[in-house]
Order: sequence, then structure tokens, then C-alpha cells
Amino acid sequence: MDTPLDRLLLTAFLLLAPWGAAVADEDGCKGPSGDCVAVGSWNFSVSLGAGIRTNPIVHESDIPLVVVPQFSYYGKRFFIDNLDGGVTLLDGDSMTLSLIASPGYDRVFFYRSDLQNVFVGNFGFAQQSRATVVDASTPEAVKFTQRPRYVTYLAGPEWTFKYSGVTGQLDVLHEITGHNHGDEIRAALGIPLSHAGGTWGANAGFTWKSAAIVNYYYGSPGLYDAGAALNPFVKVAFSRPLSGRWKLTAFVECERLANAIFDSPIVNQRYVTTTFVGTTYVF
Amino acid sequence: MCYRRPTDMMHRWTVPLACLAWLAVGSATASAAGEAPIQLQLSPRICTLAARDKQCQTEVHARWSAPHEESLCLVIVDRPDVKRCWEHYEQGTYNIELTFVDDLTFQLRDPELRNVLASEVLRVIREALRYRHKRRDPWNIFE
Repeated sequence: MDTPLDRLLLTAFLLLAPWGAAVADEDGCKGPSGDCVAVGSWNFSVSLGAGIRTNPIVHESDIPLVVVPQFSYYGKRFFIDNLDGGVTLLDGDSMTLSLIASPGYDRVFFYRSDLQNVFVGNFGFAQQSRATVVDASTPEAVKFTQRPRYVTYLAGPEWTFKYSGVTGQLDVLHEITGHNHGDEIRAALGIPLSHAGGTWGANAGFTWKSAAIVNYYYGSPGLYDAGAALNPFVKVAFSRPLSGRWKLTAFVECERLANAIFDSPIVNQRYVTTTFVGTTYVF
Repeated sequence: MCYRRPTDMMHRWTVPLACLAWLAVGSATASAAGEAPIQLQLSPRICTLAARDKQCQTEVHARWSAPHEESLCLVIVDRPDVKRCWEHYEQGTYNIELTFVDDLTFQLRDPELRNVLASEVLRVIREALRYRHKRRDPWNIFE
């Protein structure tokens, strides 16, 4: 685990931690608002509706979205945001800097029981991936070795900002659970679009995965060795307050898989599309 | 031969008599000041709001007592809907269900509501809250 990125993350942490601790209190949050939350409180919500996430893995079924529970907790610096956790070093009106840990995303396509699928509304039982054969009807078919993909966690700095209503996020992460030692960069912008009939917004960004991560999920030694992948995505979302603590929630997201992933023998779709329409109750 | 004129005698006793009179008046005044004042007690005396609480809602028990019969009224400042009066009582109690967000000042006043005879405050204490920014997470599909 002694890579240049490891050393970069450690150096960044050592440099930023004291500075962040000194300025963490200089934030502009004086009360509850859309951007601010009370320190020391848990927040729960659940979305009920109908939706689906397409699954690009051969023989794997799409992932239904029915019940989507969400929770978060914010301490003075520590926070939990669903399956992510972190420590905020700098908390300001215009930007934040945190060290976070977040689960590896791609496992959701191989295990229906992955917690990230629970948090998109599926409470099904564990289901081992069936994507093990390229094509059994082909005489010269080559067997794609079945192997487990364990739960992984990635960690690293997260920088976010807000400027003129636009929010931005940049995560530079390294796999810390020792399964693939890969790196990942997550970047996105959230752009408010309109308030016609509710709140319309668009998100756009990308996920860059190192070859180590791509091969852990989509590769097979001697059969398919992938390179790094850059997956861009775009999302359009709508929300509208209903009575009481209810609100209407709907979105469509489309992610384009890079060639390094799409070219894998176990992938048969270029795009992953996620749609959802439902109501959200905030406790 | 030495004698004193009456005027001298008067002068002689003037100071001690004045002192006695002053002491008598002072004693009477002290006695009046020593009377227990009208007492007003509230239960509860404090309402503590947790982070998610918007208001206090509780039954308040007010009890007053006086050293002798009084005619008075119990009122709450800025709550004209609350008024309870007694005539020639030495004590009284009053229970009321109240919903409030700020301190409540209970007062015992004379029947004309001109003079305040006793006062107590039911305080609202809010849990000290600090706020911070939510995580900005546009990469998250449900953000």
C-alpha cells in the first residue's frame, strides 16, 4: 500500500489536518437550512416508489428501486452519510474539505445483497453472480472464471464547493481494504435548472477507475486485462414538496461505461440507466 | 443652690423620648417588613426543548399563599386568555395546560390588575445547537 497516491494522501492529511482543525469553526451555519444541519442529530428519510437500475453484466437482472432508506449523522467534524463516513477538516460556506471512506460502487452489479443495493430499495436475499460464462452455445467458448468480489472501501480527501448555486465535488480515493489496491476519482457538478412546478436540477460528472479496480470487477487473468476507465454520467432530477414531511422525487441518470469496462466479456451494455419516481418522507 | 428650670427638664428628656419613639416606630416598621410576602410557586419552573422540539406543551401547576386573606388575580403576561381570581383567600392553586415557545411570566395582581404582588417566570431552555454544512454530494445518485 506504498504507492505515490498513498504518500500523497498521507502528506495531504498531515498538512491539512491541523489547518482544518483551526478553521473548522469558522463556518456560516447559524441555523437549520437547506445547506446546514444540526450537529449531533441523526437524519432519516425513506423514498417509496418505482424505479430501476439497469445491470450491464450478462445474465444479471436489472435492479429494482422500490424502497430507498437514507440516513445521516453529523458530528462537529465526523459524519456518516449512508454508507460513507468522513471527517470534515474545513467547513465553510463556499467549500468543504473532508477525509472520507466510501464503498466500492461496482459490486452492486454482482451482488443483489450488497448494501448499496439495499440503499436503492432492494431487500432481496444474497445472490451470487451468475456471470461466469462467455457464451455456452459457442463451441470454442472460454470459461470466465467465477470468483468473488468482496466489499471494498475506498478512502481519501473530498473537496466540495458551492458557487452561485452550483455545487461541486471531487473525491480522490484509494482502496484501503486490501482487495484490489486501486484508485478512483469521483467528480460531479450539481446545477440548479428551474423552479417551474418544483425544483429541477441536473448533475453531471465522471468516475475514473484505475486498471486495478476495473480488473477486480470486470477482468479475468489471462482472458481479459482491462485498463483504466473513465465513466461520465448525467442526471436530471425533480422534487416538489407535498403535504407535511412528504415530497415528490423523480430522477433519471445515465452513465456511459468506458471501453475498458464495456469490452469485458461479462458486460453487454454500454450504458447504465437509473430511473426513479416516488415520494420521500423525511422523519 | 442649683436647680433646673422646666425648660431645662424638657430638654433633658427630649432626646431619650425621641429615641424611644424612634425605636417604637422602627420596631413597628420592622414588624411590618418581617411579614412573609405573598408567595407564588410554579411547577415546573423550567421547560427544556430538545433539538427537534418546536414548543413546550405541559400542564403548569401554580400555587400561591399569603400571611392573611387577600383578593388577587393570577395572570400570565401577554396571555390575556389566562386569568384566575380569588376573593379573601389565604392561598390558592391553579392548573392549566399551556403551549408556549418563550418564557412565561406569571403574576399575582390586585383585583384591578394594577399592582403586581408577586411574580415568577417559567423559563424555556433550548438545547444549545450548533450547525454545520451538509455534505455536498452531487456524485451520489440520490443527492
